[in-house]
Amino acid sequence: MAFLTLQSLSKAFGDFTAVRDVDLSVAKGEFVSLLGPSGCGKTTTLQMIAGLVEPTKGTITLDGRDITHEKPNRRGLGIVFQSYALFPHMTVADNVAFGLEMRKIGKAERERRVKEILGLVHLAPFAERYPRQLSGGQRQRVAIARALVIEPPVLLLDEPLSNLDAKLREEMQFELRRIQRSVGTTTIMVTHDQAEALSISDRVVVMEQGRMTQIDAPYRLYERPATAFISSFVGKMNRIDAVWRGGRAEAAGLALPSEAASLSEGVAAHVAVRPEKIVLGAPGQGLFDGTVSSRFFLGSYWLFNVETPVGTVIVSLPNQGAEPVAEGATVSLRWQPESAAVIAAGAAA
Amino acid sequence: MKSRALTPWLLVSPATLLFLGLVVLPLILTVILSFHVYDHSTGIKDGFTVAHYVRVLTDDYYLTIFWRTLRLAALTTLICVLIGAPEAYVLSRMGDPWRSIFLLVIIGPLLVSVVVRAFGWSMLLGSTGLLNQTLRALGLDPVRLLYTETAIVIALVHVMLPFMVIPVWTALQKLDPAVEAAAWSLGASRFTALRRVVLPQVSLGMLSGSLIVFGLSASAFAIPGLLGGRRLKMAATLVYDEYMSELNWPLGAAIAIIVLAANLVIMLGYNRLVETRARRALG
Repeated sequence: MAFLTLQSLSKAFGDFTAVRDVDLSVAKGEFVSLLGPSGCGKTTTLQMIAGLVEPTKGTITLDGRDITHEKPNRRGLGIVFQSYALFPHMTVADNVAFGLEMRKIGKAERERRVKEILGLVHLAPFAERYPRQLSGGQRQRVAIARALVIEPPVLLLDEPLSNLDAKLREEMQFELRRIQRSVGTTTIMVTHDQAEALSISDRVVVMEQGRMTQIDAPYRLYERPATAFISSFVGKMNRIDAVWRGGRAEAAGLALPSEAASLSEGVAAHVAVRPEKIVLGAPGQGLFDGTVSSRFFLGSYWLFNVETPVGTVIVSLPNQGAEPVAEGATVSLRWQPESAAVIAAGAAA
Repeated sequence: MKSRALTPWLLVSPATLLFLGLVVLPLILTVILSFHVYDHSTGIKDGFTVAHYVRVLTDDYYLTIFWRTLRLAALTTLICVLIGAPEAYVLSRMGDPWRSIFLLVIIGPLLVSVVVRAFGWSMLLGSTGLLNQTLRALGLDPVRLLYTETAIVIALVHVMLPFMVIPVWTALQKLDPAVEAAAWSLGASRFTALRRVVLPQVSLGMLSGSLIVFGLSASAFAIPGLLGGRRLKMAATLVYDEYMSELNWPLGAAIAIIVLAANLVIMLGYNRLVETRARRALG
């Protein structure tokens, strides 16, 4: 049963259509990410759900109630802003208590709930501090606590981790997921970071130029990208230029193994293979040979650029504790047909 | 080593010399002058006296003028806060071409001489001025505004408004617009969000605006001179009269020093009161 539903939601700013006919149903307790590059309309979509931007067309339904034209202060949704938007002149406790105060909740009850939520985000000792006395990660958690304390039906996160450094961001991803799991609030997060979207969401919505192009579980999105854009945006992807001939993809005179595709004869296509799906072997033992032009050590895995007759191919190998093939070495490449998708070159490039 | 220690002093010396020559020196001369003896038939004479101060501080005539100055300056400041703060808020929420245009409209009056503006107001408010002509045309009784305290306050507010709008606007510029949206999302109405979230954060801007407006209003000369007439004097016009009509320079100097001291005490006191409260929260 859908808890939050967007129906052909659109927003135009003058001639420019930022969001076009977005349809989405979110189940209760689900964590959904809106993923896309900047300017794809994901933030506008979030702001329409929040009530900060008036939709041009379409409806928003929350738990059976039409909230399309309701004012933001009547929707009761929790919002975490990209800049956190904490009240700088109030202490952490006062920031968190603000929403409860607006709901005319008594002082004793208010204090109890503030204490409880600050405990949940591990900020209890900082209740009397001012936002300026906190680190970025702590501010972020205050913003989450402030949004969650009002027990909103839906929590909206606008690029919540983009202002944090890489290490902290990773920690906060797990933290965010833990908090969301423990309170069970339906959550919609906007992000341009695919790793972030894949690691913490139940479902990811990919947006391109104001449209939703794929809605899927993170794993499926990665394995079965619907468009060439998604395949390149989500994770690393080799795209080998090929031609569809006789029911298979051909490049540089070689037949490349791939999944079946319904393309017409002679059509230009891309064979899309993930770097980790390619197996390196001794020369002459694979589909074709190539020369390792450069390699990078990234801790848990190695990344190789291999020059082949079909172009430069990126291959990644897990770090097994031993030195892998050297730069300049000749290797063979192969992959399983089910690891490679064929996408028509013109389709949604 | 030695020359390096001198560098900061050399760097501040031009400003220091300017300040000493143009502010401190005339001020010292005025203080000295205020203690000179004055005789109506012979003029300023050497000799030390506090008679001028005693006279000013005990004579009802002077005290009335001081009280009026204080009252009108405070009233002007209050009205400037009430008009200027919302004006700055509206300005900060405007889209691009309009914001620049209205900022120019607000600052515009500063480009016109205060004397010209005061004459403009006297033409508008005078007994045969535009306002009274309109009232008469509408069949209403004319009102006497020119040469009243009301006229002085109206014109002072007009002149001082930019000094309130600009600091508040600057404070609003530093405000994260998402903060207001955050308050709405937590259930605050537009008004509550303004009062609880926006207002406390621009209070420092309002404080500095108030200090400028109060200080300039209390020492305003042209507007009370032209719109208050001969009868309704304020501190600055009083000093002028003592110097230019009575030729009693030492008395004029004493009044000027008293006004300066009173202004300083009020402004520093106010600053301390509000700023400590605001600083505690905003740092």
